[in-house]
This record gives sequence, structure tokens and C-alpha cells, in this order.
Amino acid sequence: MKKGVLKLALIVIVLNLVFVYIGLEYLPQSESKPPKTIVLKPGISQADLVAIGEKIVFGKGQCMVCHSEQPSTTERAPAMSTIGAEIAREAKARGIPPEQQLFEALVNPGAYVVKGFENIMPPANQPPTSLTDGEIIAVAAYLQSQGASVTVSYPGSVPLLKAQEQKAAQAGAYK
Amino acid sequence: MAEVSVGKGLTKGIVKFLVILGAGFAALFVLKGVLAPPTADGYRFFPVIGSRDWIWVVAQTHLDFAAFVLGVPIFAVTMEFIGWRKGDPRLDRIAYDFAKLFTLAYTFTAFMGAVFLVSVPLLYPKFISYMMQILGYTWWIYLGVMLAEVVVCYLYFYSWKKLKDRKGLHVFLGGLLNFFGLLLLLITSIWVGFMTTPAGVSKTGALINRWATIHTHMWLPLTLHRFIANIVFGAGIAAAYAAFRFITSKTPEEKAYYDWMGYTSATISIGVSLLLPGVGYLLGVEIYSFNEQMGIQLMGGFFAWLWVMQAMLIGAILFFINYYLWISLHKMPGGERYYGQVKYLFIVVLLGYVIWITPHDIALSLSEARRIGAYHPVLGKLGVMAAKNTAVILSYLATFLSFSIFRMSNKEPVVPWAKAGRVLKALIITVSTGGVLFLGVLGYTVSAEVRVGVLSPIQFSLFFIAILALFLLDFFMYRGARIIGEPRWGQMPERSQYALIAITVTFTWLMGMLGYMRAGARQYWHVYGIMMNKAPDAYLPTAGVASIIVTITTLLFLLMVAFVFWSIMRLEKFSERRVTGQ
Repeated sequence: MKKGVLKLALIVIVLNLVFVYIGLEYLPQSESKPPKTIVLKPGISQADLVAIGEKIVFGKGQCMVCHSEQPSTTERAPAMSTIGAEIAREAKARGIPPEQQLFEALVNPGAYVVKGFENIMPPANQPPTSLTDGEIIAVAAYLQSQGASVTVSYPGSVPLLKAQEQKAAQAGAYK
Repeated sequence: MAEVSVGKGLTKGIVKFLVILGAGFAALFVLKGVLAPPTADGYRFFPVIGSRDWIWVVAQTHLDFAAFVLGVPIFAVTMEFIGWRKGDPRLDRIAYDFAKLFTLAYTFTAFMGAVFLVSVPLLYPKFISYMMQILGYTWWIYLGVMLAEVVVCYLYFYSWKKLKDRKGLHVFLGGLLNFFGLLLLLITSIWVGFMTTPAGVSKTGALINRWATIHTHMWLPLTLHRFIANIVFGAGIAAAYAAFRFITSKTPEEKAYYDWMGYTSATISIGVSLLLPGVGYLLGVEIYSFNEQMGIQLMGGFFAWLWVMQAMLIGAILFFINYYLWISLHKMPGGERYYGQVKYLFIVVLLGYVIWITPHDIALSLSEARRIGAYHPVLGKLGVMAAKNTAVILSYLATFLSFSIFRMSNKEPVVPWAKAGRVLKALIITVSTGGVLFLGVLGYTVSAEVRVGVLSPIQFSLFFIAILALFLLDFFMYRGARIIGEPRWGQMPERSQYALIAITVTFTWLMGMLGYMRAGARQYWHVYGIMMNKAPDAYLPTAGVASIIVTITTLLFLLMVAFVFWSIMRLEKFSERRVTGQ
């Protein structure tokens, strides 16, 4: 009887050790830290803006949760590698400046949803992501760099961004 | 235990509950005065391991016990009811044994609950103060319902023998116990629902609509998911108890009884677990509809690899149960006819397992994403949900067939249409397998929306229709069947019982891991998007660290459960000695 109980205890311990070993050795080890606010210097170069934007897109912004890098048939949101060109094309079709299309997509995404996609994008300036104006402009710069020329700047684009935020608030997008 | 009078037992239960609760409140009061005030952000820090990990261990251990004491009464009273209506004393005995387990486990549940009650307001005072401001009244209702639950639990257990001739009343008490249990589940899910998918408050957290703070996206699907999972888990623990008693039994009669108890509990556990993917799907739908980002983050973002781990664990459970059922064939006269067939089921379960644990590619960096593309070049085709759903369903179908073979292995149908029935059975298996496979392949060619919203539900429906049809067909085909021989209960090798224990250990680990994922969906928020967690340990740890903590909670819980088992055996011995006057 005692032998049986010991074997039983051994199974409990061995199984737990196996599971913890898989968790430690076979699964990728990365932590998910709360994001830190990135403060931009006024007059920052567009190249630096793009670099910061890329970091946000792949980190704090959590954009890659829905957007894939390359286009695929099962994508939930436009692919990153061609998104700048897509934005420019949509803006032209709507007859609005690409910056407006870009900022609208980021802070008031439900206002215009590209054909073939669902209205699933949360406003980037609202919780849980809560990007600051500077961070949103950096993201916009990175998005433009993916297939189009970068035209946004900091703090030059802040008024245009603010206008889109105001429009979204008035439309009740942040309720 | 049960030799104590109803009044004495009831008083003991209430006093125990009030003492634990009172000690909790007293400790809270005293420690609040003794400890240094919280930081400006509203935190105190637990020494050495930190507040997050302390709360994690305490909460998960408490939840494991809570799942146990809320799950077991559901099938205990069901067994008692069936035993009463059928006049089967064996069912009454198993129900009584289940009642013994959960009545004793209540003390541990209350103890861990009290530790939790002391820890959270001390370590996270600002957060708790906010929760009390929004949902404080539900906490006081919770305490009231908890007291009612304790009263009915002890009444139910200690009146078992006294009310043996008034079974209707006793079963009613069992029903009442489950009613209060369900209320507790609903209340606790309100809190988790609000923290994860908050509603009814402004962006700054001010109360706008009280009902909306209760009726959040997560509330009811989470309650339903927990309700089903509690039955599965409770039955798993009961199976472990039976295995423990089987191994420690000295007489063939005892071995036979506990073998049967283990089989019955494991059948309930695995049978009810078939509902979990469906209710999990409902929960997922609600999370996605609350916030698509949270849904994707949970299912395919940071936690993606833990879903691979989940697949490993559930696959392991399916292996253990199939192994148990295949060994069980040896105790069935006539079971030898099926030894050859089970190896094909083994191949299906193995293939399903391999596909299930194949990871979808998860880009951890920009360069990796660019190198890999949309999917992994080799494993991409198997790592997607179209393949995984198909593999899971076919593994479950194979497990159901193992169960069906075991149940019918000692019988020979005598109905004139038996041959046609066998052909029909083969047809159902072939059509359902083919259908599930076809829909799985079709899943590659359609959008995610169609695959998730249309094809997956059809696949699961096909599976449920198939097992229902097979169950009914067996039921009618084997009515009045010739019995080759009665099952030789108790004549099982010990290793079969290890499989039962392994199922319970894996279930407990799985519960711990999924509990972490559910809580982790909030990331660095106490209340998602409303109240940020600004504590230094407000981050999601690596999968390795999470595995260590889940292992600690699992071992701690199982150690306490072992103590419950041992206590029951001690009390039984004590009662026996009293009866025999030794």
C-alpha cells in the first residue's frame, strides 16, 4: 500500500516537473511589460520618426496583433509591408490628403473602414493603447514609409491630428 | 464524520466558517494598523516574492478548491437522485462519498479565501477601494450567500442518514446547495467580468450604470464556462480520490467499489469536458466582441504559445483517459475482441495530438516576421485553426469510441437488426469523420470570419450529432443484450489508477494555466482600459515563470487535497473503531 502511495506521489511530482520543464525549455521566453511613454523632441527628423514608429508598431502599439507583415488571404487587417501605399490610394479615392486618411485611421478608425475588412480597430489614442500625439505621428510616419513617401512631421502634423481627434470625439467615437 | 448529530454538525460548520471569516477580518484590521501605509499609487509589497506572485498563488489555490466544492455537489446530488429513483444503494454510497469530500474541502476553501480576503485589500488598497465603490454591495451579498451555502452544505451532509427515509427532502437540500453554489459563481464572475470587460463606467471610472457593471460581456459566458469546468474538475478530483482509495484498499470488495467510483467519476469528468470547447467558444466570442484587440492578444498574441501548451495538456488528458479505457477492457469479459481495434484509435489520437501541438508561427520581431512571411513555411498548414479544430474533434471522437467500446465490450446485441445496426454505426463514424475532415480542408479556402463563424460550429455540431447518434444507437441495439460476463470491478492493474491521477494532475495544471491567461488578458490593467496597474510587478512574466507558479499552485492544492483524502480515511477508521468499540 505504501509503495502504491509513493508511486502515486511520484507521478504527481514527475508530471508537474515535465510541465514546468516544457514551460521553461520549449516555450519562447518573453515578458510583456507595460509601455513607457515616448517623448519626441520638436523638429525630430523623419528618419528618426519612422524608427520610433516602427518600435511602437511592433511593441507598445500592439499593431501586429491584428496586422500581418505580408499580405495573406486570411488577414484581419491590412498588411504592414504595403500599408503606406494602400493609405495613399484610399486617400486619393476619397479625395482627401493622405495625412488626413492616416490620422483618421488611427484615432477614428470606425469612420472609414477599407473594403474587405471589419470595423475592429480601436482608436490608438484611447485606452488600452493610449498613444500620445507624438507617438501617433511617429506611427503615422512608419506607416507612410511602407510604400509611400513620409509627409508627416512633429510637431508640424499635430494640428491635423488634433482636428481628427476632435472630429472623432464629436462623432461619439470615444464613448 | 456522519455519526455526529445534525445540530452538532451544523453548529460545527457555522462556527468554523465564522471563526475563519472573523480571523480574516481581525487580521486585516490588525495588519492595516501595523503595516506601513501604501505607496502614493496605492500599493504595499509582499516580501521576497512580491505581491503579484503571492496573490497569484493564493487566488489560484482558492479557486481550485472553490471549483472543487462547487462542482462536486452537482453530480453528488445527481447521483443521489438517480440512486433514490432507481433504488440503487451503490449510487447513494458514491454520492455520500462525494459529499464527504466536498464538506471537508469547504474548510480549506474558506481558509484560502480568508488568506485572499486579507491579502488583496492590504496589498492593493486603492484597487480594492475602487472595486468596493463600484461593486461593493455584491461582496456583502456574496458573504451572505456563502454563509447560506455553508449552512446547507453541513445540513446536507450531516442529515444524510437521518433523512434516509425522506430522500425527497434530502435531494431538495442538495438542489438548494447547488442553487447557492450557482449564485456564488454568478457573483464572483461579476467581479472578474468587470475587471476584464468593464462596462457601466466612464473613461475615468465613474459609475454610470450599475446594471451594466454587472452584465458585462464576460459575466454569463464566464459563469457558464466555470460551471461546466467545475463539474469536470470536481469529477476529476473524485476520480483521483477513488484511485487513491483503490491503491490503499485491502479487500477485493473495497477495490471493486473504488474501481467503479473511479470509472464513474472519470466518465463524468471527460463526458462533461466535451462541452468545454463549445462554452469556451462562447466566452471567446464575447471577449472579441468587447475588444477585438484583447481577443487576438489572448488567442494569438502574447499567449499564443500557452495555447500550444494547452493543446499538449488536453492531448495528454485524452491519452491518459484512452489508456485507462484500453486497460479497462481487460476486466470486461469479451473485451479481448476489441484489443485489435484500439490501436487504430491510438493512431487517430496520436495524429490529432501531433497536429494540435503544431505551433502557428508567432513573429517575435520584425526581422522574424519578414523572414517567415504570413505563416511558417513548413508547419503553417498544420498550425492554423482549420487543422487544429479538425484534429481536436477527431481525437475526441476517437476517445468517445474508446468509451463506447469499453461500455459495450461485455455485451452481444440480440436485436434482429444488430447487423444493420453495426453497419449504421460504421456509417455514422465514416460520415462524421469525413465531414469533419472535409470542413477542415474547406477552412483553408475561406476567410477567418466564415471559418470561425460558420465552419467551426458546423464541425462541432457534426461531432455532437455523431456521438449522440452513436449513443442512441448503442442504447437501442444493446437493449436486452446477452451479457457475456459482468465487469470484474477491482481487477485492474495499479497503473490504471495512475492514469486517473495523471488526468487530475493535468486538469489542475491546465486550470492554473488558463486562469493565468484569463487574468493576463487584462495585461497591465486592474480594470481593463479604466484603472491601470502601476505596481512594479504589473507585467506578464515569461512562460517559464508562469509555469513555475502554476506548478507551485498545483502542488500546493494537491498536497491539501491529499490531506483531505487522508483525513477522510482517518475519520472512517475512527468511526469504525467507535462502532466496534475498540
